[in-house]
Amino acid sequence: MSVGLAILLLVLAVLVALAVRRGEAALPITQRIVEQFAKLVPRMLCALVAAGFIAQLIPKQAISSLLGADAGLLALPVAAAVGLIVPAGPVIAFPIAVVFAKAGASVPALVTFITSWSLFAMHRILIYELPLLGPSFLRLRAASVALMPFLAGALALLAGLLVSFGAPVTTS
Amino acid sequence: MAERPFWTDSAWRRKLLGDAFGRGFWGFFAAAAATGLLCYWVKGSELFAKAIAEDFDALMAVLPRVTVALTVAALIWVMLPRDKLSGLVGREAGLTGLVIATIAGAITPGGPTSAYALLAVLAASGADRGAMVAYIASWATLGMQRVLVWDVPFMGAEFAIFRSLVSLPLPIAAGLIARRLPFELEVRRDAPPPPKGGEEFLP
Repeated sequence: MSVGLAILLLVLAVLVALAVRRGEAALPITQRIVEQFAKLVPRMLCALVAAGFIAQLIPKQAISSLLGADAGLLALPVAAAVGLIVPAGPVIAFPIAVVFAKAGASVPALVTFITSWSLFAMHRILIYELPLLGPSFLRLRAASVALMPFLAGALALLAGLLVSFGAPVTTS
Repeated sequence: MAERPFWTDSAWRRKLLGDAFGRGFWGFFAAAAATGLLCYWVKGSELFAKAIAEDFDALMAVLPRVTVALTVAALIWVMLPRDKLSGLVGREAGLTGLVIATIAGAITPGGPTSAYALLAVLAASGADRGAMVAYIASWATLGMQRVLVWDVPFMGAEFAIFRSLVSLPLPIAAGLIARRLPFELEVRRDAPPPPKGGEEFLP
């Protein structure tokens, strides 16, 4: 069993114990699980399969020379730019990250990509941020967080010099 | 009187089926089929078979983790009072306020609907701009639902922990920057209710 699954199961056990102690009703929780599962998993599985094919199709050298360890600091702006232009939810962004990881992208580049995408995903800005908070908040926030993807990548680079930890799990 | 379980409701079942295999799903399915065909056509049957085998391994690895992660997320969703979180953020000034906002952002369960609704409440109550920016930046990068449901199953626990650790100080930094930026902030006080629908993961 993988470490990831073990950690998740541990968290689950703690939460279930907590829920039982608090006497939470099981039905609403089950309903939410089923609903979320239905919304997410069929699409996620298709996206994963597509990501596997795309990983075969794209030229690995191109990815690893732009996002790999050899690209050095250049990988960070490239990863940040790619994160910026992925205009969709995690069901698309994370399979892309898997493709990058399989093609040899470095850990700092992957961290930068995910940070950049999570902060600037266009669909979230359009559906939630602008209608609920307006353009002046978007301007303030975008300016405030603009450095975050690079800082995350730089911290990951520095940490990578000190410890070898954080490599993504790829099945290939 | 015992409440009827949700699955006996046929309207609920129809909606569930629509959520699972509606138009969005077929878009993803078409993408998978198209890339598969392209792979077969460009790379030949051998590499295609290899890709299929790898895809199957990936699915088998991801499916149990996502199932557990979704259960964890649902439990947190039910047990953590989201309305109390907004009472915590924006009260304290200084660095403490930003730390609290960062923690609140990281533990806010659910997707953008809940996080942005909470942010709108903060804005309407005149919360500190640094705390607002730190909160939403923390939810975006450190939100535990994202880490549990996406980072851990797709990238592995080690990567998820690593990414969370390096991102930890950044929402606080963003909050500090936001406090110093001279932009005028005009937030809507008559904000419409957050859009309903594919709340947690989609679009």
